Parts: sequence; structure tokens; C-alpha cells
Amino acid sequence: MDMNQIIIDARKHGRAALDEQSGKALLAGYGVAVPRTAVVSGAAGVDAALKQLKTPVVVKIMSPDILHKSDAGGVKVNLASAAEAMAAIDAMAASPKIKGARIDGYLIEEMAPAGQEIVVGGLRDAQFGPLVMVGLGGIFVEVLADVSFRICPISRLDAQEMLDELKGAPILKGARGRKAVSRDAIVDVLLKVGGENGLLMRHAAEIREADINPLIVSETAAMAVDARFILG
Amino acid sequence: MDDRKVIEQFAPLFSPRTVAVIGASTKGTALPNVFIRRIREFGYTGEIYPIHPSAEQIDGLTAYRTLADTPKPVDYAYIAVSAAQIPDMLAAAKGHVRYAQVISSGFGEVDEGKDLQNVLAASARAGGMRLIGPNCLGLYTPRGRVTFTEIGPKELGPVGIISQSGGLGTDIIRRGMNRGLKFSGLVTVGNCADVTPSDLAEFYLADPETRVIGMYIETAQDGRRLFEILREAKGRKPVVILKGGRTQQGLAAAASHTGSLAGDDRVWVALSRQTGCIMVNTLDEFIDVLLAFQTLTPRPQHPTQRVVLFGNGGGTSVLATDFFARLGLDVAPFDKQTVGALAALKLPPGTSITNPVDAPVGTLQQEEGRVAEKILDIIYGSGKPEALVMHLNMSAFVGRTRPEVLDNLVQAALRIQSHYPGQAHFVLVLRSDGEPALEERKREFRAKAGALGIPVYDEMVNAGAALAAVQAHERFVHTRRP
Repeated sequence: MDMNQIIIDARKHGRAALDEQSGKALLAGYGVAVPRTAVVSGAAGVDAALKQLKTPVVVKIMSPDILHKSDAGGVKVNLASAAEAMAAIDAMAASPKIKGARIDGYLIEEMAPAGQEIVVGGLRDAQFGPLVMVGLGGIFVEVLADVSFRICPISRLDAQEMLDELKGAPILKGARGRKAVSRDAIVDVLLKVGGENGLLMRHAAEIREADINPLIVSETAAMAVDARFILG
Repeated sequence: MDDRKVIEQFAPLFSPRTVAVIGASTKGTALPNVFIRRIREFGYTGEIYPIHPSAEQIDGLTAYRTLADTPKPVDYAYIAVSAAQIPDMLAAAKGHVRYAQVISSGFGEVDEGKDLQNVLAASARAGGMRLIGPNCLGLYTPRGRVTFTEIGPKELGPVGIISQSGGLGTDIIRRGMNRGLKFSGLVTVGNCADVTPSDLAEFYLADPETRVIGMYIETAQDGRRLFEILREAKGRKPVVILKGGRTQQGLAAAASHTGSLAGDDRVWVALSRQTGCIMVNTLDEFIDVLLAFQTLTPRPQHPTQRVVLFGNGGGTSVLATDFFARLGLDVAPFDKQTVGALAALKLPPGTSITNPVDAPVGTLQQEEGRVAEKILDIIYGSGKPEALVMHLNMSAFVGRTRPEVLDNLVQAALRIQSHYPGQAHFVLVLRSDGEPALEERKREFRAKAGALGIPVYDEMVNAGAALAAVQAHERFVHTRRP
């Protein structure tokens, strides 16, 4: 896949950011695992789509007018059957915050296996160029700002030290009776995003900010469940 | 660029054989006249060419009309005249000048001067020279016998400084000198219209005289290059950065989590983690850390971890133990064997023989300090610290001991150091209460210790911060160059 084409297409459509599907396609192009997906235009396409996907699935609204999908009621998770998915789509289409918006379709996506939520980010600094960030999801990032930054490109050792630097680092090792999650999987994603020839280095001129939030990390693997790339 | 090329490129700046001065007046009172006097007093023996539109002579030196008219090409031009006339002067040099330092302000530091700064930089390029400044104070280079300061150490030292502030540059030289710092050079770079801190960092990294680099930075326009140079250097020399001003970028405009979280100085923290440079917050900390690197030899194969505190002052030891622990330095109690060996010395009551070792004046002065030597021998031989901080509360010695006791103690420590070469960093803390007589004695003693290559600090916290910086550097090199 031509990763540059994804950005060129978004620009051509006058978009200031990559939509979720394009963002994930970009990540997949750099070897970051993303859920398998299908796009349907309405409830009628669900049956065919679910033949290729494993349940449970998530349904997400696709609209250039809706930036915060969850807030608008545009995300429904843990749908176990075609019937549930169709009901979710019908409910979204009828919901007040979505009714008036332009709708590109509905994204049906396999649920990621359970795991620890991580945030991986990117940012272009005016003086230093692309930076990569990592933090633990939820309150760790949003309330405690427990994140670490590095200047791209990072080495494997840099990526490991980024994780060690987090105050919440013990959680990755399985604090409070939970299973340890794969540090290697997180480090690999950090390198694919922020390493030499990684996504942020290759698209330094086009990507202003990036959020992979969440990246869900299990004992063995990491999957980017949502991604946002702001262009400019 | 390879080292030899960088050194050659900067040689005319750091060892100029010809210096041109623009702005000196026939009355001899302008700043450039002062500059001429200062470099002569500093021992400069090369040619000095005043540049003046009409005068025949300035300060007894033959004056020339333009930078292109001097008998020999100009290695270094010092320029302090009104901003608007400078670009034409530089453009007229026609490849006759290697480095021009523009002291004058009125350029990019004010809105109305931004265009003029671009013109200035273009004129310097057209004139075939490298430009330093504008809006700075000058250059201090003991190897070249050139200085913009009234006082500064004449000896060449190992500390190379780059400062984006002129005034702070002066402070670094003057305050640093009183703390025993010796410099390989100090360049005030002002607005950095051409030569940047990164360029000079590249020079100091290559320069065999320089062992440690200090930078005061407000904005790093070419931050990317600085990152690349320092990353490439892999901690080859310690780099200490005093960062003024914090980036405003991102915070307000940020559209993502990442953007909103990056609006402070996290990029500088990242730089230090990835390149091993040491970030400090104050001028004193800057000098404290530079002094440590000037005097101590980093040991990346055994990064500093275990510290022994030895001196008089129980509360001081306890507070320091806490502070050192917060910095990641262990002041851990000795093992049984070491405590046993110390107990066998049968020291007077009131002496604590675990780590920290708290020895009252009465103990320290026994046998002209030889008891201290026995204590230290056991500490080094059995306790195996990676750093020893000897702290002396000078007020406690007053009226109770002969003046030689302090000397004896330090001599004892140095003898032990030489018996265990390369084992532990030795740092001296001389605590005083501010009494003028005591301060004077401390000054003398500091100078003596400095001459012996011992870093001297005013308080335990300063010594702690300096040792933590040495530790950070050692650890970085340890992990990056196994």
C-alpha cells in the first residue's frame, strides 16, 4: 500500500485530519496491528460484513462532521450478533446528534482482545521535529499527565526507557493481581511509529499531531483500536 | 564533519592572529576601546586593526577605513556600532574576514529589527564570513588571549561554554572563576543569526582542550541539529544545559492529547534522556555540575551509586542522606565487617561509625588528622564507596583547632585517594555560617583544594546535585556504549 497516497487523498478532500479508517490503514502500512473491519452504508450490509468478521464487534459512525464519536453516541461496543449490529446502526442513524450530519457509512470492527489501554502519540515540535509519546490510558494520561516523550527517531533502548519512566510502569508488569502485558509489543509499536523510518519520521512534513488511543496490549500483542492523525 | 575540519574551521575564532575592532572612538571611551584595552591586558599579542571612517590612529594603533583594507586578513572582528550601518560594512569585507561578532542590538530581539537581522545575515554571507550574534557581549578565549570581560582566568581550562545571554556569560566567567572553573572558551551567541549553539557544540566536542561543555540556551532554532550532534556524540563529553524560557508551542492550539501534554519543556527532558546531556535549573547548579566534570573523571564502567558521607555535623549528615536518596544516590550503612574495623579504632564517644560517618571535631583533630586517615582507609578498603563526600563545618573548628587541621584532613583524604586510585570520586563540602573571617578562610582553603583538583561545594545539596549529574552521565555512557 502507498502510505503517502492515504495522506494525499485526505488532503485532496480538504480534510484536516485522517478519518479513523485511513488512520488505521496508515498504521497497518507500518506494521501496527489494527482490528479487521468492514464498512457498510447501513443496516442492510451487516449480514454480509459479519461473514468475514469474528464477533463480538464494534460499530462506529463514519462522518467528517463528528470528531468525538463516543460523545455523539456514534460508538456501540460488544455486539454479539448481526441483529445487535443492525439495531445499533438504526439507533445511531436516528439519534439526535447524528441525524443532521453527513454520514460516510458505518465501520464494523472486530473487538480487540482484552488488555491494558496504552496511548501512543506523535507531535511535530517547531524546533526539534517529530516527537513520540507514550502513556498509560485513562486517568494516567488524562488526569496525571503520566507520559514520556522522545525525539524521533528513537532506538529500542529509548523506547524501553520511555516505558520505565512512566509512574504507572508497574501496572504493565501486572500490578494488583492482573496479568503482565507485553512490553515488547509496546516497544515494537513505538519503533514502528517513532523509530528510524517509522511513521512519524517518514511523514514528518505532513503529520502535525497523532494519537493512537487506545492501543490495547495483551500478554502477547498490541492492537491500535482508535487512531487520529492531524495534518498540517 | 570530522574533528580536524571542525577544529580548523574554528581556529581563527578561538586563536585569532588578527583582530579588527569597529566602533572604537578617538576619545578612547567607547566599549570597543575598552575591548582593545582588555585584550591587551589579557596578553593578546596579535595584530589589532581599528576600523574607522576618518581617524588615522585609535588607541595608538593604525586605523583602517573598511574591513577589506587591513594589511592581513581578519580572523576576528568585534563590531559595536549602531545596527543600521553594520550590514554594509560586512558586505564590503570581500572575503577578508573569517569571523565577525556583532555586539550591537536592534536586530531580531525586537520586532522592528527582524528584517534588519535577515539583511545582516545575508551581508555576512556576501562578505564571506561567519557571523556571531548580533545582540551579544563577545568572546572569551584564553588560548587566543581575547576576552570581553574585565576579569577572567588566564589559564586555559577544560570547560567550554556557549551562552545565548551576554550578561549570564559574564556571570559564568566571574562566578565560575571564584569557584575554581577554568575555561577552554566562552562564546556569547546572542540572536544566533548565523553561528548557533549547535555549531559551537560541534567545535567543543572536537576540541581536545575541552572536556566538558556548558550551554545556556533560550531558544534552539536548530534544535533538530543540536539533537543530532549530541546523539551522534553518545556522551563523548559531558554536556550541561541551562535552559531559559519554555516553549509555548502546542498548549493553546493543541488538538490532541499528545499536543496538550507536550506544551512544557518535555522535549528538553527527552533530549537529555536520549543524548545524556544534563539539564540544570539555576546558574549555581550549572557551575556546581561543571566543576564536578572539570575535576572528577567519570567512570562509566561503574556508575556512581554508593556514597559515603564523612564529616562533622550529625543533622547535616541525616538531611544529606535524605537528599542524596531523593537524587538516586545511596548513603547506605556499612556492612558488619566495615563497622567492626571502625569500632576497633576505639574512636571517642559521639562518633558514629556507620554511614554517614559523623565525626565531631574532637575526633577529626586527633593526631593531626591521622585518625581521619585511618577511618578513611577502612572506608575505602572495606566500605568500597563510589564517592566520598567530606564535609567540614568550619564554624565548629574555630577556636578549637589549629588552622593546619583542615589541611591535614584534606591531605589525609588525598593520600587515601592515591592508595585506591580510580575507586571513588572525592568531593569536599566546606560549610560556613557567613562570618567574614570564616568566609575568608574558606576562600583560601577553596583555592588550595581547587589547586589539588578537588571540587569544593558550599553545601551538601550542591555536592549532591553535582554527583547526581556525574552519575547520570556515567549511566548514560554505560548503557549506550557497553
